[in-house]
Amino acid sequence: MPYIRVSEKLPGIRSLFAFRPETATPMSELAEVLLHQPGTLSPADRELIATYVSSENDCYYCQTAHGAIAAHHLGGNEALVIDVKRDFEHAAISDKLKALLAIAGKVQRGGKNVQPEDVERARREGATDLEIHDTVLIAAAFCMFNRYVDGLATWAPTDLDGFRERAAKVARDGYLGVLGYIAEARASGNGS
Amino acid sequence: MKPIETMPAMQAMFLPDVENNPQPSSTTDLIRIAQSAGTEYPKIWHLFAYRPEATTHLGAFTQEIMRGDGPVSASISPGLRELIAAFTSSANECPF
Repeated sequence: MPYIRVSEKLPGIRSLFAFRPETATPMSELAEVLLHQPGTLSPADRELIATYVSSENDCYYCQTAHGAIAAHHLGGNEALVIDVKRDFEHAAISDKLKALLAIAGKVQRGGKNVQPEDVERARREGATDLEIHDTVLIAAAFCMFNRYVDGLATWAPTDLDGFRERAAKVARDGYLGVLGYIAEARASGNGS
Repeated sequence: MKPIETMPAMQAMFLPDVENNPQPSSTTDLIRIAQSAGTEYPKIWHLFAYRPEATTHLGAFTQEIMRGDGPVSASISPGLRELIAAFTSSANECPF
């Protein structure tokens, strides 16, 4: 049961986006740039970083939603997403992604945990400064999203098919689609 | 309670590419002004200047949540909002 009166039809962060469109817009645009727009890191890699951080933060909605999007980008390989969450150092992913996930995990526990050796390891595995930068920003942003979602006790469905269905849409269209239904919710008075 | 941290002296960042490649943006102008005046400035400016297409949204978010007059936060004064931010940053041991 959410701590504030948000739409009962929308799960997780989407109920909060509809509640407060002014902050939803820049948050969605940030997610779009970090996770969906073309970059040197694949969308699957970036979604795995988001999923791993959300899992470490024990945020059910975010790790399930982004885990489903990562799996969609990986051709439906949900087992690999579980492997990454459980023990990424031994998962079937690139050494570069392992180094980036190690940095993301340190950011999740607190930014000051990131040490020069962590950055050197990522560089050794071929990560560019832009990729390291974006990894830290994805990890930091998801700590915000995770705390936002759980700090207000938002509701999330347990049916995984719903997550899979939505994941296919987000993987294709990105994160700005939410802005449309927020405007609708607003117009019909379902917002705040 | 932990002692309040003091600002560390300016030192090189982990990612030299980030520090050395500010993109055209208002933050880059600020960095240039501070550097030519020889004054210290917060290194978060380099993060904003490196990836403006992402950080412009962070800036918009901060503006809205800290200064915006939406239906909810209008009832929390800007001073109180900054106090919440400062308290959280202190708990996170981020002196800046």
